[in-house]
Amino acid sequence: MKDTQMLEQNVTNHPVKIAARNVQVYYGDSQAIRDVDIDINDKTVTAFIGPSGCGKSTFLRCINRMNDTIDAARVTGDIRIDGEDIYDKRVDPVQLRAKVGMVFQRPNPFPKSIYDNVAYGPRIHGLARNKADLDGIVEQALRRGAIWDEVKDRLHAPGTGLSGGQQQRLCIARAVATEPEVLLMDEPCSALDPIATAQVEELIDELRQNYSVVIVTHSMQQAARVSQKTAFFHLGNLVEFGDTDDIFTRPQDPRTESYITGRIG
Amino acid sequence: MSDIPNPAAPIADPRGASLLVQDGRTKRRNAAEGRFKLYGIVAIAIGLLMLLTLLFTIVSRGTGAFQQTYVTLSVPLLEEKLDKNGNRDLAEIKKVSTFGYAPLTKAAFETKIAEAGIETSLKPKAMADLLSKDAAAQLRNHVLAKPELIGSTVEFEFLTNSRVDGYLKGRVSRESIANDKNINAAQLDLVDALIADGSLQKRLNLNFITGADASDARPEAAGMGVAMLGSFAMMLVVLVLALPIGVAASIYLEEFAPKNWITDIIEVNISNLAAVPSIVFGILGLAVFINYMHLPNSAPLVGGLVLTLMTLPTIIISTRASLKSVPPSIRDAALGVGASKMQSVFHHVLPLAAPGILTGTIIGLAQALGETAPLLLIGMVGFIASNPPESIAEGLMAPNSAMPAQIYEWAKRADPAFYERAWGGIIILLVFLISMNAIAVLLRRRFERRW
Repeated sequence: MKDTQMLEQNVTNHPVKIAARNVQVYYGDSQAIRDVDIDINDKTVTAFIGPSGCGKSTFLRCINRMNDTIDAARVTGDIRIDGEDIYDKRVDPVQLRAKVGMVFQRPNPFPKSIYDNVAYGPRIHGLARNKADLDGIVEQALRRGAIWDEVKDRLHAPGTGLSGGQQQRLCIARAVATEPEVLLMDEPCSALDPIATAQVEELIDELRQNYSVVIVTHSMQQAARVSQKTAFFHLGNLVEFGDTDDIFTRPQDPRTESYITGRIG
Repeated sequence: MSDIPNPAAPIADPRGASLLVQDGRTKRRNAAEGRFKLYGIVAIAIGLLMLLTLLFTIVSRGTGAFQQTYVTLSVPLLEEKLDKNGNRDLAEIKKVSTFGYAPLTKAAFETKIAEAGIETSLKPKAMADLLSKDAAAQLRNHVLAKPELIGSTVEFEFLTNSRVDGYLKGRVSRESIANDKNINAAQLDLVDALIADGSLQKRLNLNFITGADASDARPEAAGMGVAMLGSFAMMLVVLVLALPIGVAASIYLEEFAPKNWITDIIEVNISNLAAVPSIVFGILGLAVFINYMHLPNSAPLVGGLVLTLMTLPTIIISTRASLKSVPPSIRDAALGVGASKMQSVFHHVLPLAAPGILTGTIIGLAQALGETAPLLLIGMVGFIASNPPESIAEGLMAPNSAMPAQIYEWAKRADPAFYERAWGGIIILLVFLISMNAIAVLLRRRFERRW
């Protein structure tokens, strides 16, 4: 049903937000990503699909330098956000991550109150001048996370007490609270049931108004439903990248075709 | 063992067999499982039996130390003996040593016997021998605390000799004193008469918990209190040094340090240090803190430093374990919203690891509290007759003993009365250890969070 909507999606080409050239990622001796070149547009949902271990999550984690936290990981090549090389020596990954928010595979709220979960980012980045300001930021973030109505009466209840889907939306609210420009989502629905998944997908579509959203997903249906652009990764290579419609209806590469028709993966 | 198929046995054919009848293989497996459970129950039962025996022995032998025999006498505090000039100048009163008080106690004892109408053939000297050698000192301390009492007659409870105490506790009997030159049958007759009179009785002995150690000749006056303060001073040093150093080292090693061969070596060596015999730390302390740094002998400060070295590996290992147990998703979450490494550790990881760190620290402290061997080498084991320290600095620097060292000291003395005190000391030590462990469990329960 949503597949038909997909065709109606109007792919207007927003300016390029993230440009990656010749990106290689090594874990110790093995190479996880080879020669990835990709341009990710602003205010667009870009989906990374591909079989397990194809490197899509690894590449996603390059965009906010989360791979820095893994000792063995080594990234070469050039990734630019708004024309600035994020692997430049002068770039502090902490500042980068405030600009490039991330939502993880499993909902991981802090074991604190719902309010504190969302307020944490703004607090450490000094985004609020006073309590009222912070309250406003928290409310706005929770509204953008489409969870405000469910939690507004229990902001001081622990975030870990929410259901899985609510926790994931809380994590999205937490990520948007720091006003990032790019939102990375690493299989955000893989731990959720279909109803919660539908809610999160709806939310992703709304987030597109303000952010460049990059989503890694195992589900091709999900990629088709939420994204305007799709990149297919296979064995560390970026095989094909283009408009979601084209990838799913007119794949250029035989490997893409095999994957979306279920023959590999 | 039972799982290895016997090649000689016929191959089982399960098809068509009834489920209601156990086949041979199942029976053997069930029997093996039953036997294993039985071994477990037997092992636990033996363990429990040992524990109960231990507790029963400690309690039955040690409780005696918490009671002591006292005799109540009325002593005239003669002014001409204690304060010749009559000006109640404390400095002058202090010049009168216990030898000045001894005749008073002796006279008081004689008067008591005369008043009670007890017939005895004993000479006054032999009568007074029933009192503790500490009696005069007891009276002197009392007078020094309240000099205004001089000139009046006070009712005072004197400690009795440890043999009299033993007689009331059943340790000394008329048969056992045959070869004892410290007491004879006539003296015991006098004791019986005084018991009948009601002036000689056992009562609670707070001095055992609060007092200082006493010399070989007066076990009845020995107490644990000063050694306890020595232990407290050491625990203070351990807590102040080992907790921050240990936690900081673990956080660095666990969260910040690069994983390479240097950190691997450090890691292995920390684990090894935890297994190093504590006496090795003692000799290290002797060499470094006393011989090289010239810190005072027998000082709880040195003891605390040595125990800090000993406790650090325990604290580091338990802290690292609790840091490891914080799920990496929490660190990712914090880094993902742009927290720095340090913010993610201090805002999120450390609070979650805190219960584990506290538990590890308390267990480490409890271990240090019960440690004796390293104290041997820095001179904290032995007869150290000190008064309770007057300040924290004195508590750290003045020679002192520690609870387990005190117990060892009593246990090796000849007089059987000290033996009872050693058991009593063990009760006090165990109460401390059990309450520390209980606090650890409570903290864990209270602060443990689920995620």
